Amino acid sequence: MTDIIIILLGTSMLYVFAVSRIEAYVKTLAFQGLLLFLLVILDIKHISWLNIAFLSIETLLVKAIAIPLFLLIIIRKNEISREVEPYISQFYSLLIAMGIFIFGFAAAFWSAEIGGEIKPLYFGISIVIIVSSLFLIINRKKIITHILSYMMLENGIFLLSLSVANEMPMLVNIGVLLDLFVGIYLFTIFFNKIEEMYDGSHIDVLTELKD
Amino acid sequence: MIILVIILPVILGLLAFFLKNKIVSRISLFGTSIIFLVVPILKWTNIEWYWLPRLFLDYFQFDAVGTLFFSIMALVFAGISVYTLFYFKEHELSPQRESVFTAEILFFAAAMSGVILATHLALLWVFVEATTLTSALLIYFERKKSSLEAAWKYVYICSIGIALAFVGIIILSIGSRSFDSLFFNDLYENAAKINPFWLKVSFAFIFVGLGTKIGVAPLHAWLPDAHSEAPSPVSALLSGTLLNSAFLGLLRFQEIFIRADMESFSNFFFLLTGFLSLMVSSVFMLRLKNYKRMLAYSSIENMGILFIGITLGPTGIFAAMLHTFVHSLSKTSLFLTSGNILHLFNSKKIGEVKGIIKKDPHTAWLWILSVLSMAGIPPSPGFISKFLIIKAFWLNGMEWLSALFFLFLIIVIYGMCSAVFHMSFGEGESEESVMKRLPPYAYTPQFLLLILLLIAGINIPSQVLDILNSAADFFK
Repeated sequence: MTDIIIILLGTSMLYVFAVSRIEAYVKTLAFQGLLLFLLVILDIKHISWLNIAFLSIETLLVKAIAIPLFLLIIIRKNEISREVEPYISQFYSLLIAMGIFIFGFAAAFWSAEIGGEIKPLYFGISIVIIVSSLFLIINRKKIITHILSYMMLENGIFLLSLSVANEMPMLVNIGVLLDLFVGIYLFTIFFNKIEEMYDGSHIDVLTELKD
Repeated sequence: MIILVIILPVILGLLAFFLKNKIVSRISLFGTSIIFLVVPILKWTNIEWYWLPRLFLDYFQFDAVGTLFFSIMALVFAGISVYTLFYFKEHELSPQRESVFTAEILFFAAAMSGVILATHLALLWVFVEATTLTSALLIYFERKKSSLEAAWKYVYICSIGIALAFVGIIILSIGSRSFDSLFFNDLYENAAKINPFWLKVSFAFIFVGLGTKIGVAPLHAWLPDAHSEAPSPVSALLSGTLLNSAFLGLLRFQEIFIRADMESFSNFFFLLTGFLSLMVSSVFMLRLKNYKRMLAYSSIENMGILFIGITLGPTGIFAAMLHTFVHSLSKTSLFLTSGNILHLFNSKKIGEVKGIIKKDPHTAWLWILSVLSMAGIPPSPGFISKFLIIKAFWLNGMEWLSALFFLFLIIVIYGMCSAVFHMSFGEGESEESVMKRLPPYAYTPQFLLLILLLIAGINIPSQVLDILNSAADFFK
């Protein structure tokens, strides 16, 4: 069961590569949050109940509901619908995505060989999510897509931390969540300001400062 | 201690933010800077305040390096809080804006003391990310288009970098399964037990992550923008303390490598990025047109020097510790003085600033003396630290690299000094210069910082030497 969820997580990244409607990204983000929640619930062997409660709240309430909703409101308010033409076209992006997947599976095999008690599939797919969100950030131009890709990067990191069975202290968990939340909040503040000051929130407009 | 240096600034910041009262925000600011100064003194004299509730003792502690970095931060912060008065006056901020500024700067300071005191690797990460978030709004404080661009680049690039550092932390926890702890002390003790493969992979991620925050080349994209667009006191705080505290994170990580006897691996990357930073800054130094950006590139250069220093054994590490002190104090003084110049000439362009000495001799002399101190002209202690690094190169049998190091230093010093002397003594063809006198608090912080540097350069007090030595001894 968990394997299916993880494969779905990986496929959701492929979907993001293929579409250019921003709302589809947000929905994928919410879907990923939901999948991570299911993963936490189904995979409760190693962790204490307090951590489980915390992780379910984090994934379900924050990652699957609060942040996507928040971003959706911003998008509707600013009337953004589509991503502009990326630097590398969709077709080649998908080819690159395939390369990333091959690398991810290779990483899963290596990690299994080296040992260190991790779950290879978790590890491989989380590498896929991390690398492909970095690729999205480089390739796409809209600032809102950058924010969404950052969230996907965070989802990948979350999956990676699930691949390691040991748990972080509660203080750290709370701190990480707080940082993530404030980070997204700040990003949207700046995003709104950029929308206000420049016409269209496009990274190509941010070229005033250079040497 | 944690109550005093992390929770209290946050509470005072919240007070300032919600009461929107001039007096309250100033009391909070000065109160925090006094506390910051008092705490390390208590630490040196080994007095503990037992009546304070002792929370989270496992998670926050002063160790030898922490004490050094905290003391530096306290000095810089005290100077900045005095200078802030001038900034408020110059911009005629309303009490409301003033309270917002105070609150943000206090949150920022609290996050930095968290970075310095954290004893858990992931907790350190939490606070490093917190410094990014709290300082982003400060960079955008003047609400200009260019500062918005700088703030966005800063917060986004650093967040991505820091996210990668977290990947490194998770990977390290895979490698350290046998003892299952990310407390620095456990990591040091069991360094040899960490799986070398995972340790190296995690180093790559953490190095990129914290390196982005430190701003070494080639990860420095945000640094010149943020440093030049932020208000001057904030630039000083960014350069004088934020870069240090992120550097402290990498230092602690380097210690794991030293204990695991694998430092040749990490040293290579430190040396490489160190020299790259020197090269980038010396190339740009000769063609810069904006003096605040010039100071920012000098920060990149100095972070490169620190990176090089920590790879060169005990002498190099001692030199790096001393250089951290020199760089923070001189750079704070430089950035604060650049705030004066910006006020006097209303331009950040080197070409448009001429003859500061006629308009305001105090500012001109502070500007010149600070740059000489930064360049390491004796009696500045910067001379000693750079000299020791060159000596450490020879001790390690890397004579050729020391020549390269020296060459880059000379180029940077030439670039900075020629710009500074041009600005100070150059003949302005425009309107005749009218003498202008700024309030005393626009000069005192820089003056006091320079005096401290002078004392350290001529005859370093034995207590300070003890702190430096024990910080350097920590890495063995």
